[in-house]
Amino acid sequence: MSQETVVQTRSLSKVYRDFWGRQKVRALKALDLEVYKGEVFGLLGPNGSGKTTTIKLLLGLLFPTSGEALIFGKNSTDVAKNERLGYLPEESYLYRFLNAEETLDFYARLFDMPPETRQERVDSLIKQVGLDRARKRQLQEYSKGMTRRIGLAQALINNPELILLDEPTSGLDPIGTREMKDMILRLKADGKTVIMCSHLLADVQDVCDRIAILHQGELKELGRVDELLTVADVTQIRAKSLSEDCKNELREVISRHNGEVLEMDNPTTTLEELFLSIVRDSEARPGRRAPSPSETTPEPANDG
Amino acid sequence: MVLEQDILPYLQWFLGDAETLGALPRFLLVALGIAILGLLIGYLIAAVRYGVLSGGDMTYRTVSAGFRELFEMSPRRIWALAKLAIKEAWRRRVWVAFVVFVIILMFAGWFLKTDHQDPAKLYISFVLTATTYLVLGIALLLSAFSLPGDFKTKTIYTIVTKPVRSGEIILGRILGFTLLGTVLLATMAVCSYVFVTRSLNHSHVVEVSSVKPLPGDEGGYEGRTSREAYHRHFVETDDGKYGEALSNHGHFHPVAPRGDDLSVGAAENFIRARVPRWGTLKYLDRQGVEKERGISVGSEWTYRSFIEGRSQAAAIWTFEDIEPPPFIDDPEISDDQKGLPIGLIVRVFRTHKGIIGRPIGGTIQVKNPDSELRSQVDYFGALDAKVDEQSIPRKLTSLEGEEIDLYEDLVSDGRLQIIIQCQESGQYFGFAKPDCYIRLPDGSPVLNFVKVYLSIWVQMVIVIAVGVSASALLSGPVAMLLTVSFILLGFFREFFVGVATGAEYGGGPVESLVRMVTQQNVMSPLKAGGGEPIVKGIDWVLQRIMLSIAQVLPDFSAFSTVNFAAYGYDVPAERVFQDLTTCLAYIVGLAVVGYFFLRTREVAR
Repeated sequence: MSQETVVQTRSLSKVYRDFWGRQKVRALKALDLEVYKGEVFGLLGPNGSGKTTTIKLLLGLLFPTSGEALIFGKNSTDVAKNERLGYLPEESYLYRFLNAEETLDFYARLFDMPPETRQERVDSLIKQVGLDRARKRQLQEYSKGMTRRIGLAQALINNPELILLDEPTSGLDPIGTREMKDMILRLKADGKTVIMCSHLLADVQDVCDRIAILHQGELKELGRVDELLTVADVTQIRAKSLSEDCKNELREVISRHNGEVLEMDNPTTTLEELFLSIVRDSEARPGRRAPSPSETTPEPANDG
Repeated sequence: MVLEQDILPYLQWFLGDAETLGALPRFLLVALGIAILGLLIGYLIAAVRYGVLSGGDMTYRTVSAGFRELFEMSPRRIWALAKLAIKEAWRRRVWVAFVVFVIILMFAGWFLKTDHQDPAKLYISFVLTATTYLVLGIALLLSAFSLPGDFKTKTIYTIVTKPVRSGEIILGRILGFTLLGTVLLATMAVCSYVFVTRSLNHSHVVEVSSVKPLPGDEGGYEGRTSREAYHRHFVETDDGKYGEALSNHGHFHPVAPRGDDLSVGAAENFIRARVPRWGTLKYLDRQGVEKERGISVGSEWTYRSFIEGRSQAAAIWTFEDIEPPPFIDDPEISDDQKGLPIGLIVRVFRTHKGIIGRPIGGTIQVKNPDSELRSQVDYFGALDAKVDEQSIPRKLTSLEGEEIDLYEDLVSDGRLQIIIQCQESGQYFGFAKPDCYIRLPDGSPVLNFVKVYLSIWVQMVIVIAVGVSASALLSGPVAMLLTVSFILLGFFREFFVGVATGAEYGGGPVESLVRMVTQQNVMSPLKAGGGEPIVKGIDWVLQRIMLSIAQVLPDFSAFSTVNFAAYGYDVPAERVFQDLTTCLAYIVGLAVVGYFFLRTREVAR
């Protein structure tokens, strides 16, 4: 992975004050971060931990009380940085009286795109987020999932190098969540840098390369997901079609080498996988009851 | 028609002269003052929040970014934001204003009586005033609540995280609402014009029994029309029965033969656009001594001053650039038509009632300003506030009884004096400078209507600019209150300045309050139990602040040209260009203020 720094914060702090200038809450305390080009970076933490404040500071929606945030080497309050940036807010704050086409056309104009490029980009994104059939409907008629998709499309309208996603899977059903995660991984594959904040740990784990864990405005942990989650003194072996004799033999071998077998049984899948499998099957064979879980052989979770 | 302020030539108004500060230098001075004040306040706030050095750095960065972003603005982005503003306003049912306007017009006919002496004035004044208040109200609501709405729904997040400059957001809103307001105003203008012309349109028939030959040997007929719309006309025709139903109620009708009878055509000249050329006015008092003003008859409004009847008191107008008409040498045109057309408005102040309805006698005399040569007096009857249009004949008689030529003998270097006197003892004539003028050919009433609507448009745009800029910093209701205050103070700017400069009776704001609470009259010295210096001191500070505010207050009452159209006068082009320039200055100034409001605001707070 390239080590080109896209986002950098230096002692970034934010204190919210009341009208009289009295301190109300210290939302962020001296955050030092670096996000590199091409990685998916996750900001994790419980509600009120400072994730969204960090995102807003990076975007220039808030001004730091002290410290600074640099995007592409420019101060976060510099409007020029927005040329290379896309942002999906926590709720899709869009004009509900516009339809999908008008929405994307409007945001494309804000990037000063010439008409041909604009039209092409709008068409391509509407198809990409699966809203082709609803392109003429006003956003006020959209479901939550559709609103998130058009929100994502507006964030990608300028083909940005850096995408900031605030709670990207919030309020989405499992299919929408999966699609969003797939989209993030596709963006990563295209060489984009993604910063997302979420309190849904599984989502972060699925897509992020590195994470920062915030709590009460302070950085508590920072590192690669795989490194942070690795349990060094436990070994996991995954195998298929083992007989009972073979399993017993394995137990003996482990025991002979002074090891301890913690668990040896058939893995379970995740509820997400089960749900997606049922929906896929229902779409393939409409009108028929989906097979029971015992009949299905879903792919096990955590298969690497 | 009242014209309290002279309309200066555009360049003199724009650049100024030795005596008056022009609009451009005034704008630059005010802009400089606001810039220094803004910098100071901005730095102080930043210094308190972020420290002395960081505050300075932030202030510098904000100002330098402002200059840089000025050159980075994109017309495409501004247009996109303008279109969005239009769609948003349409969604907020701005068209309801038009529906309300149409309903008002539908029922206005119930209340606007055509028995008025000059019904056109009543109708035009009504539609233009209704349009002005409706449009200003809509402009206020749209502009003050638009940006706060975006902040409330957080849609602004998706705008400011695009490469959109704050100035583009402000200009886009101003442009969008202005375009929508323009369409609304244009539609109202068309409806108003149709409403006025159709409401006032009527016809008469000539009463056959009244028709008889004109006395004398010149031939022709006279008669009178039927009574319609609360009035009738006297009719005069030539031998061929072509003529007119003479002017009454501010209009006339053409008359033409129809078989043996006379037919009366549609009303004409209801809506006029008289083009006056004003001169300068001086007075003679009852002893014939020259004065700057006449006498006061007790009216608090000092616009006009009066001359006493049956004395040497006179009002003397001096006109310049008087030239003979181009057809002066055309033998086929009579000398009567080669005279000098003038208009005269006399306010009559009676100290005894005389015969009600009978005009007060006055004289008019023409004088060469460089010699003592003057014409014999011509008598006229003055009705209060009526526009008397007459023509000074080309051939006149001097005081010595010799025939003199108006243009050759009485006009000197293009200058001519007209002397008006009141001839009845105990009665007074009141005049202001615009009350006597040389009549140039009438302008187009339709074009005049457009010019009046342009002045309403200017007011609308200023309100939009104020509302949008205020809403960049304040919440919707507060921005609306601020804009309303701006409009109200703008309409009463003269009084506001009077209080600020101490010209109004009763002192400054605090002194007035004390007087009201303690029930003291405005003339006697203030008694505040020894606290007078404190009251005066606070007033001194407040009056300085008020004077500063007055520098940026638009004079809405001066923008209004409703009276021009209502009284049937052409709005001078100079005036239109001056208003448009002022409007542009407000847009530029307020856009810059709005930019810094938005630029220094934390969007996500």
